[in-house]
Amino acid sequence: MSSLQDIEEVAADWLLLRDEPEWSQDHEARLQAWLDQSDAHKAAYWRLECSWRAADRIRALGPAPTMAGPWRRTILTKWQPYAIAASVAAAVLGIPATVHFISTAPTAVSGYRTPLGGHEQVALSDGSTVDLNTATIIRAAVSKRQRDVWLDTGEAFFSVQHTGVPFVVHAGSHLVTVLGTKFSVTRDGDKVRVAVIEGRVRVSNADTHEPSPTATITRGAILEAQGSSTLVVQDAETRVQRSLAWRDGMLEFDFTPLGEAALEFNRYNEHKITVTGKARSMPIGGSFKPSNVHAFAELLHDAYGLQVEETPTETKISD
Amino acid sequence: MADEGALQNWFCSEVLPLERALMAFVRRNWREQNDVADIRQEIYERVLIGARAGLPHHASGYLFTVARNHLANRARRAKIVSFDMMADLEVEVRGCAFQPEPALVARDELRLAMRGMDQLPHRCREVVQLRKFEGLSTREVSDRMGISVDTVEKQLRLGVRALADFMHGGSGKIERQSRNSLRLKRGRP
Repeated sequence: MSSLQDIEEVAADWLLLRDEPEWSQDHEARLQAWLDQSDAHKAAYWRLECSWRAADRIRALGPAPTMAGPWRRTILTKWQPYAIAASVAAAVLGIPATVHFISTAPTAVSGYRTPLGGHEQVALSDGSTVDLNTATIIRAAVSKRQRDVWLDTGEAFFSVQHTGVPFVVHAGSHLVTVLGTKFSVTRDGDKVRVAVIEGRVRVSNADTHEPSPTATITRGAILEAQGSSTLVVQDAETRVQRSLAWRDGMLEFDFTPLGEAALEFNRYNEHKITVTGKARSMPIGGSFKPSNVHAFAELLHDAYGLQVEETPTETKISD
Repeated sequence: MADEGALQNWFCSEVLPLERALMAFVRRNWREQNDVADIRQEIYERVLIGARAGLPHHASGYLFTVARNHLANRARRAKIVSFDMMADLEVEVRGCAFQPEPALVARDELRLAMRGMDQLPHRCREVVQLRKFEGLSTREVSDRMGISVDTVEKQLRLGVRALADFMHGGSGKIERQSRNSLRLKRGRP
């Protein structure tokens, strides 16, 4: 039997080769054959793969977060000194730094995140601001030539400075392109909602497998998209305003079914509200602090006579 | 009969998080510390063989039972078994089996990955970051950093293994001594 060291090194080599551009069907078949040879091979390969892929999630998030709260760290900016050093060297040697070279120098990517119940405003270097709602992760790469923001999850309100350079929000496969305007984007997996408060935005789907038309929406409109299907609601100004009440630290409901309102609360708190029975469809209205589940539940009990049962982890509401 | 995908999933999410406890258990019950990593690997191999017939309900109880049996067999083969040791094994299993570590939630896993990244040696970390964050190939990393392809490969290999060790509860320090020198140290074939 070959020793662990050997097996582990072969497993590491396979794992690394897999990320290389020359990886082929033939490689895949050979890896499979190697794995099938022995459970020792599988154990070693799976063990390495498991942690190596976990580290991929750091990339998915962009730069490394600190331990808690809003984070900002720019691992990628580390590489800027190289680019600068190279262009200085080029200048000294009298070689003009080419446009191509500049375009390959990576723009610094900054990551920001808010915890459950968090709310944070971020100022970007172009003068635009982004409000992050609860449990939201974004990455931003803003330079003089391009402005890109990736909404990895959650909800963000953008107030974009007009600079003549398109500002692109990547929400999964959906691209929201604007010049200067105010709008919010909410992303939950592949479900994306765009609400416009001022100006106009263009929403397109970058997923080449599913060509879908580009939609342009203006003030007071809401666009909801999932995969290649898109729904636009015009003249929904009050709904747009209401959906942005979180920026003032409030949740606003107007004839909202209680079941939906509960889900909205649950986006902000570990302590969850569950609604059962007919109470789910009961329409409610009003403004509430998202953190004050207790007051909300009390109101439901006093004003609507609903049954409220509170446990340390959840509040159960029924009729 | 568990299919391979389910088996892999179970192995990653239920067994690997127990690695720290497993390593501590093996270390306490095996005199020759140089064998510990090999023993872990042998235990995992047996765990997979057994679990293929049907995924166990309690990964922890199952893992430590396999571990105890394997250590006992190995001890028997090495003819170093003593009653003390067998008694210890019993006690340890009872102690470990019912304290499963809670499965890592995704966020903890991410933090762990980041800490693992931070503790890599400087050059190794740079190579891994270029690969991970910018998706560069070995060739491109070598061009970017001005080091040989061979060096990049060596650093990546080290990074993969160190990250696995750290994330599964080890120190993240990978011994770079060759297998031959290990063999010599053991003084056994």
